[in-house]
Amino acid sequence: MKTIRLFPLELRRLLQSRLTWLIALLAVLSPLAGLTLYKPATAGTMLSNYLANPAIAGGVAGGILFGLLTVFELNRAARSRVDVLVDAAVSPMSMALVRLLALMAASLLTLGLTMLVWTPVSWALIGSVFGGVDYLLAYLLLMGPALPLGVLAAASAYQFTRRADLSLVLFAAFAALSLTVWADDWQLCWLNPCVWALSDDFSNFRLFRSVAYMRLSWLAALAGVWGLSYLCIRQYGKGLFGSLARNLRRAYRPVIALLLLACSVAAYAAQPMVDQSNLDQTAMSFYELPYLEGVTCSQRTAQVYPDTNAGTVTGRATYRFQNVSGQAQTVALGINPGYTISSVQANGADLPFSVGDYQEYNEAMLQATIPAEEEVELTVEYSGFPQEDRNTSTMQGRKEISPEYLCLENAALSPRLMNVLPDEGMYPATIEITLPSSMTAIPFGTSEAKVVSEHQDGTATWRYEDNGTGGILYAGDYIRQDIEAGGLTIQFYYGRKHQSVMEAARAVDAVKAVVDYCTKHYGALSFGTGGALKLIQSRVSGGGYATAGASLLDEADFTAANLSDSGKGAIPGEVMIHELVHQWWGLGNMFDTSDDTSPWSAEGLTVYTTYRIVKALYGEDYAREHYVDQWQQSVDDYYLNFYVRHPEYLASLPEDKQLPITNSLTYVRQYCEMPLKILKAEALVGGEEAMDAILSRLFNRELDPAYPYLTYGEFLDACGLTEEDLNLG
Amino acid sequence: MEINIQNISMTYPNGKQALKDLSFDLHTPSLIGLLGPNGAGKSTLMKLLVAALLPTSGSILVDGLPLAKTDRLLKTRLGYLPQDFGLFDELTVAQFLDYMAALKGLRDPKSAIRKAIRVVNLEKKAKSKIRTLSGGQRQRVGIAQALLGDPPLLIFDEPTVGLDPEERIHFRNLFSQAAQNRLVLLSTHIIEDVQSVCNQLVVIDRGRVLFTGTPAALIEAASGHVGAFWEQEAAQEDGLHITARVNTSGGIRCRAVADVLPPYAQQEEPTLEDAYLYLISREAVQ
Repeated sequence: MKTIRLFPLELRRLLQSRLTWLIALLAVLSPLAGLTLYKPATAGTMLSNYLANPAIAGGVAGGILFGLLTVFELNRAARSRVDVLVDAAVSPMSMALVRLLALMAASLLTLGLTMLVWTPVSWALIGSVFGGVDYLLAYLLLMGPALPLGVLAAASAYQFTRRADLSLVLFAAFAALSLTVWADDWQLCWLNPCVWALSDDFSNFRLFRSVAYMRLSWLAALAGVWGLSYLCIRQYGKGLFGSLARNLRRAYRPVIALLLLACSVAAYAAQPMVDQSNLDQTAMSFYELPYLEGVTCSQRTAQVYPDTNAGTVTGRATYRFQNVSGQAQTVALGINPGYTISSVQANGADLPFSVGDYQEYNEAMLQATIPAEEEVELTVEYSGFPQEDRNTSTMQGRKEISPEYLCLENAALSPRLMNVLPDEGMYPATIEITLPSSMTAIPFGTSEAKVVSEHQDGTATWRYEDNGTGGILYAGDYIRQDIEAGGLTIQFYYGRKHQSVMEAARAVDAVKAVVDYCTKHYGALSFGTGGALKLIQSRVSGGGYATAGASLLDEADFTAANLSDSGKGAIPGEVMIHELVHQWWGLGNMFDTSDDTSPWSAEGLTVYTTYRIVKALYGEDYAREHYVDQWQQSVDDYYLNFYVRHPEYLASLPEDKQLPITNSLTYVRQYCEMPLKILKAEALVGGEEAMDAILSRLFNRELDPAYPYLTYGEFLDACGLTEEDLNLG
Repeated sequence: MEINIQNISMTYPNGKQALKDLSFDLHTPSLIGLLGPNGAGKSTLMKLLVAALLPTSGSILVDGLPLAKTDRLLKTRLGYLPQDFGLFDELTVAQFLDYMAALKGLRDPKSAIRKAIRVVNLEKKAKSKIRTLSGGQRQRVGIAQALLGDPPLLIFDEPTVGLDPEERIHFRNLFSQAAQNRLVLLSTHIIEDVQSVCNQLVVIDRGRVLFTGTPAALIEAASGHVGAFWEQEAAQEDGLHITARVNTSGGIRCRAVADVLPPYAQQEEPTLEDAYLYLISREAVQ
């Protein structure tokens, strides 16, 4: 009671201090650093640049500033000897709690002030994709908790040590840990949450949940630490241990502190956001399982019910097997590690099953032994919160499930069959998904989803036919525009929130221009799309990708800022061009990527073609500066690279150290060296028109069914050149 | 209010023994002067009485209840001015007193603050920031916060330090008035402060109680042990403690205390200061 009575008093006193207002003012201004100096969110979306970065910078600076204020205020009473008066009126324990609450309240007032001040600024900077919910959650989660956490950490340090200098050193070390060695651990970076991107056009609930989880874990941890330091508050002229011994007499105090610490440790250990996938990304054990002898899969179905509010999925998948082996067989299915399996049945009878602890590429292995019957229908019921791969834990957000957007990939959509071959019809699948009626279901591929029923609760069930063990499904509040280009119907899907930007940028015309260019120079897309190609704007994902009949476009390339970049002309982002070109080089003509040391891959011709389109659209100077010069710079650096000149040293490194270096070198070979070689070939064969004719012939050549890939040898032969002719050295 | 100090001893963690087996009782109403030389243990005793320290042994009972278990209750009935204290410089006098009044949980803080400001003569400075006050004015703010709410127990440790003579007299009278219905403990080494107003004295030195009783009893104890003489007539005497030397036209007139006065000394009526010095000097000799 006394604490409640004294809290407004202490807060009022705190707010009468000029230092408090100075700290608050600096904290309010600190988001400026996120616009200029400190930009942890690297994606190019407007919300990343103008909301996430300022909010995170505000949190870092605000947390540190309030930590400093806390040490100053706690030490001040002792330094100025006010404590002897205060302690004569109120117990030091009560006063410590009151001071903490007042400091935390001041930090929250500062947060409110910051949000007020930055609302119009953010709105003006972000433009039409500004959203109130994103703004609130960004400041409440990315900035807000850092301030009270700073207060708790600094107060704990002071209460343990009773020395301002030592407290500042401890607090600085703790903050530095978050900013350095813990910066890439999404659970440990208490001050600067791992946020690489915020989506402009779709929701960010998954990422906000992850940050909220981290913040709550730290809040419990630091409250527990503060609780322990509270026991060390010096009383009756006693030292640290004397006071501790006396304060321990009230058993509930250490019990609460230890409970909070235990909660935080449990929250850390049992986090639901990312899985425990093997960190060795070369591991392929799930893809090397031997196929079962005498068992084939003739059909599968899935009924999927995402809870778009809770971000969870409930589903029921069935698999029809022909088991001619005459024996019981153990079927393996990959499931998202966040899911729990509630039942597995074979022909209606419950089957025992197990889910292994080992996880790889965001999958855990479910095993169930089907009976020795010829026809077996296996039914798996699953539900849960889909986890993301821990190898990309600093880039969370892919598994967004909300009323605005949803992406379910492979085992997150339904269990992926691992060790059963299909019959001659491959793996025909019927997928049904029930979504809020505002969402459009878009299978990533050639399939078309249709509404089969609408429900009174405002949901609709979509159904589509697919073929394969996995599959990717996007859904969201999309606008669809059909574009006739290159003899195809391009189904262009983009977020409703982005409509005005897309229309202003004349994105439809741009898509048409690119498809027409490639069709004219290389030929029409031949794969079985039924004359259609889906072009889907995805939630920010760090790049696009393509499959037969569909190409993904990262929203980051469609931001208002990017689209209005006068240096690039009027056409939308170049990644869109790149990804569209993959419909020709990568899918229209496939490339074998078994040899990582070779520069030859789909990327070389795709990047080269992108350069040609950009050159046609923006002019030679722009294309040379942004493409050829940058390739040349990267290749020059590549040839000087220590590990390129001394590969024996690379081989002697541990695997986890090798991988990023190898990936980086492979990138340069495929994305920079090869385009330069093709450019050199272009000069040697007589120019652009001659190269276009060669590429057109290659694109439309008759494929060898045994090896339907476009090889480097075929390219060189078509050009009449040798590998040596294209040496860049 | 009744405070019983029972055989308390206090030894600091560094091994320094500040108080040794102290026992005496304090009752309302009274104004008790706590006298003793520097380092005698006065401030330690004060801190024990306000529960800022816990005794190494012995106990303090407040109205029959052990202080160690009822310190929260004591704080609600206490006005305390420590010897060395600070104030929040960014607050005004009124704001600081409002803060302290709220800490003390006063029901009518505004009138309590007005009264405290009036009695310490700070009306004109009520809205001034504390950082602008002089040393004496800060001391008066300290006294005012102790007086807030008329607590039944007032403990002042060297309250008149930094005050000018006029203010000292004012506060002496104030303490005297306050003690009419309360228990006031006044620690000082300025004998004048206690001489005219205290109805009880406790003299401690080197952690021990040397005297408890009325000022008259202390003076009485020194009767026959205070004398005056001309310095030029005096010889070197053991046990003679000169307490004052005054230059006069006839030479230097000395005032001294001793167990046995020398023959050249003319016996004088002891003052409280003489009596105190006699007590301390005798203890030093023993």
